Amino acid sequence: MADVSKLIPGQKVLLQGNEAIARGALEAGVALAAAYPGNPSSEILQTLADSAHSAGIYVEWSTNEKVALESAAAASYAGLRGMASMKQNGVNVAQDFICNLTISGTQGGIVLVTCDDPSGVSSTNEEDARFIARVACLPLLEPATPAECLSMMKLAFELSEQIGNLVVLRGLARLSHTRAGVVPGPLPESKRRPRWDPSQRWFTIPVVPRHQAMLDKLAKAGEIMGAAGVNYYDGPQRPELLVVASGSSRLYADEARRMLEAGERVGILHLGATWPLDQELILEHLARADKILFAEEVDPHLEGGVKSIYAQHVRELGIKDFFGQDTGHKPPVGELSPSRVAAALADILGLPWQEVDPAYQEKAQVAQALVAPRQVGFCPGCPHRASYWSMKQVLAADGREGIVSGDIGCYTLGVLPTGYQRVNAVHCMGSGPGIASGLGKLRDQGFGQPVISVVGDSTFFHAALPALVNARWNNSDYVLVVLDNSATAMTGFQPHPGTGATAMGQAGTVVDVEQVCAGLGLPYAVVDPYDLEATQEALYDALQIGGGLRVLIFRRLCALVQNKQGGHPWSISVDPELCRGEDCGCHRFCTRVFRCPGLVFDEATGKATVDEVVCVGCGVCAQICPAGAIKARPKEATA
Amino acid sequence: MVLPAAPFAPQPTGLERLLAEVINPGLCVACGACLGLCPHLIFLDGQVAAPDPCGLTSGRCWDLCPVAQRGGPGAAQGPIGPVLGAWQGRATARDLEGRAQYGGVVSELLALALEQALVQEAVVTAAGPRGAPQGLRVSGRSGVLGAAGSIYAGGGALGELNRALAEDACHPLAVVGLPCQIQALGAMRAHPDYPQTLERIHLVIGLFCTMNLPWRGVRDLLARHGVQAPLSRADFPPPPAGIFQVWSGGAYHELPLDQVRAISYPGCAGCADLTSEGADLSVGACEGKPGWNTILARTHAGAGLLELAAGKGLLELEPAQPASLEHLNQAAIAKRKRAAAWSEERRHG
Repeated sequence: MADVSKLIPGQKVLLQGNEAIARGALEAGVALAAAYPGNPSSEILQTLADSAHSAGIYVEWSTNEKVALESAAAASYAGLRGMASMKQNGVNVAQDFICNLTISGTQGGIVLVTCDDPSGVSSTNEEDARFIARVACLPLLEPATPAECLSMMKLAFELSEQIGNLVVLRGLARLSHTRAGVVPGPLPESKRRPRWDPSQRWFTIPVVPRHQAMLDKLAKAGEIMGAAGVNYYDGPQRPELLVVASGSSRLYADEARRMLEAGERVGILHLGATWPLDQELILEHLARADKILFAEEVDPHLEGGVKSIYAQHVRELGIKDFFGQDTGHKPPVGELSPSRVAAALADILGLPWQEVDPAYQEKAQVAQALVAPRQVGFCPGCPHRASYWSMKQVLAADGREGIVSGDIGCYTLGVLPTGYQRVNAVHCMGSGPGIASGLGKLRDQGFGQPVISVVGDSTFFHAALPALVNARWNNSDYVLVVLDNSATAMTGFQPHPGTGATAMGQAGTVVDVEQVCAGLGLPYAVVDPYDLEATQEALYDALQIGGGLRVLIFRRLCALVQNKQGGHPWSISVDPELCRGEDCGCHRFCTRVFRCPGLVFDEATGKATVDEVVCVGCGVCAQICPAGAIKARPKEATA
Repeated sequence: MVLPAAPFAPQPTGLERLLAEVINPGLCVACGACLGLCPHLIFLDGQVAAPDPCGLTSGRCWDLCPVAQRGGPGAAQGPIGPVLGAWQGRATARDLEGRAQYGGVVSELLALALEQALVQEAVVTAAGPRGAPQGLRVSGRSGVLGAAGSIYAGGGALGELNRALAEDACHPLAVVGLPCQIQALGAMRAHPDYPQTLERIHLVIGLFCTMNLPWRGVRDLLARHGVQAPLSRADFPPPPAGIFQVWSGGAYHELPLDQVRAISYPGCAGCADLTSEGADLSVGACEGKPGWNTILARTHAGAGLLELAAGKGLLELEPAQPASLEHLNQAAIAKRKRAAAWSEERRHG
């Protein structure tokens, strides 16, 4: 990412939403930023890391989101400004700390940035992390543009220091990755000296008075945010329809209104501060319109809040019609779009609306038929494909209906055909070994199925360790397979404890998976998943042992990282004389079953062939060809 | 117009049906006839498995499976099949003692066939690195000796034969197998898509068999009795012994026969062939004469090899005792009856 500390104040630049958040943090004087990578939030910390040396701040990839926020709190207690960024799932991980931090309070400004992923495009769930503002009584800001990302980050830090509590800023996937013009402001001229006054103590007891103090802080935050100008109305004096919107939905509402040419009839109440809701402002605008539509993404946060305010004032406001999730005008699931908002506006206002021109639609259908269907899959040469291949083979040969408890990372794709659908369950970071631990304790009640838990190397450190200790402690019977590709690959190759690198590029200490296993007293072995025979033997043997937790480390560098480090050693080709094609005994085994995108079936010749552009030369397919038709020759020899 | 459903839809005769009717119901006897033909059927630690659907509606895996192809009550030539000559004998060489089964006749005949270049390789069953039996190709006496003796567990050896037949080679082969495997060889030779079996299999030595055991079951049973795998040899002594004898690491152990019966392949119950009726030579224990084999020469090729071995002084041969043959007949009849009853029971659910 770019070093955003070097932007020239007052000179407009194109910034991604996440970069603008980072710049805002720098302008606010953040001294410590920490995160665990997770799309769509990852670029925030990377931008800060790439700006850290010139800005003179500390930035780290932490082992998980809770630790990241705890580190940020440390900065706050030392009188500095700190922040933690994460995706929506990370808020769940950090929640326990958040719900205590909000009671104990904070010193220096501290901001939690959550980037939510409507439709779960790069997530295992679709979740609205705004819940944390309600649960933990925290002020919540929702920018709609990169410029607001910057300005609201500065407001968030100021607000945090004024009320002595954490402030939440919620981004969305579209905002995180949208680029727009931003005018940077100046960076702070001086730095604070970190010091924790020993007379200051931060804890949550006595709980009840501190709980009250927390509520008082929230009320104060409402007043400050109300005066900050982040909420505003845009539209006719007495609109026929009032749209109450936040985040990216504000832009969608504006665009929908333009598409329908309904500027005279529709007003938009832009809410940048969405918790606590500005009751006075909302009552003022409810009084001016009889129809109200809510535009927001994922949960009906505004819808519930505004209706609650209305319920308290229904006598003076009179009868109103509300449109939103409850009436089907806002989808309960999936990402919102200008078209979806336009459809709602058209329905309410009785306007004609056609999302797509029928002529265009017809052409699009023709074009669609020409596009080859694609499935999400592992990259060519991905060691996870080889790993799941071995698991599939071994579990079938084992014949006891083995179960694979999955986890979060590239290897989550093991639930799909690319991983031979070999994964039986996936939930959150670290839940795979936890579920396996429980299964491994059902032996005495007749559960005879072998259990494998797969975790990536980064996940191993993020959340798997407590489950492993649990399994070790309680003698749970399963095999942990660490799919060690030496990268946090799914989120963009960030370093993790096992790599020893750090966010700021300095050498950290390698935390060795083997040593952790040895320290826990776990038997372990390291295998190369590219070596199918050795991997399958090791896995089969590990499954037969039984009696406790044992670990296999499938270690092979992520194929994308390997490609950047000189590539793979093999040149792959298919001997058409040997290839069995569709004949009995194969039936396109490599392209239909193994399914590496580097192999394609040539319909004209009825034989498999190698797509030389896609194939990286890992050589695994040469091991699965029953006819020995796939040849792996050293690249030097074929050059 | 809606066409009526086809009056008869051809039933799949490939992996799908093999799984449904043989493997998934637990009737596979690990003969290996389906192995080595394609990548979809695999064999590990004594067990056949199919990790992926092959997507074809027909295949040799079904056509060659002796459990799938089981038909009527047995061949028409009497309970022990065609016999040109019946003998009892033993190898004269001392290097087979304690390693080969009974009189060591199979090992000696095989070694001779290789030495005389009647065949260039022989497919046999031998314990693999985990102790599980598996198919092995041997090409000389030392290889034969390494595989001598039985541990009474399915090793999928025909998979190795299929692999040998798939190679771009033309040298003659020998096969040693159990009755199920000899039945599968018959299906291979008759299969229109498998011409090389007729061309290349020049010698088939069959073994007598009343039942066979799955390796994993044997290993678990051994573990329950504190016996460490791998086994060097095993035997069912004739009734009324009621035991299963095993030799492991130089130590001898006896396991109760009822426990061994309990783990035997369910698929063996439907087998009507005691003496490998389709072989060139069939060899088994010689009742009442420990350390000797009963030998049935069934074809001229088999009889010729036996004659050659005797002529070279490699085998000590005597005509089979009528009482012993009668006993073998009775045992074969009993096996056919058991198989018929089992098949009948399955037909009627």
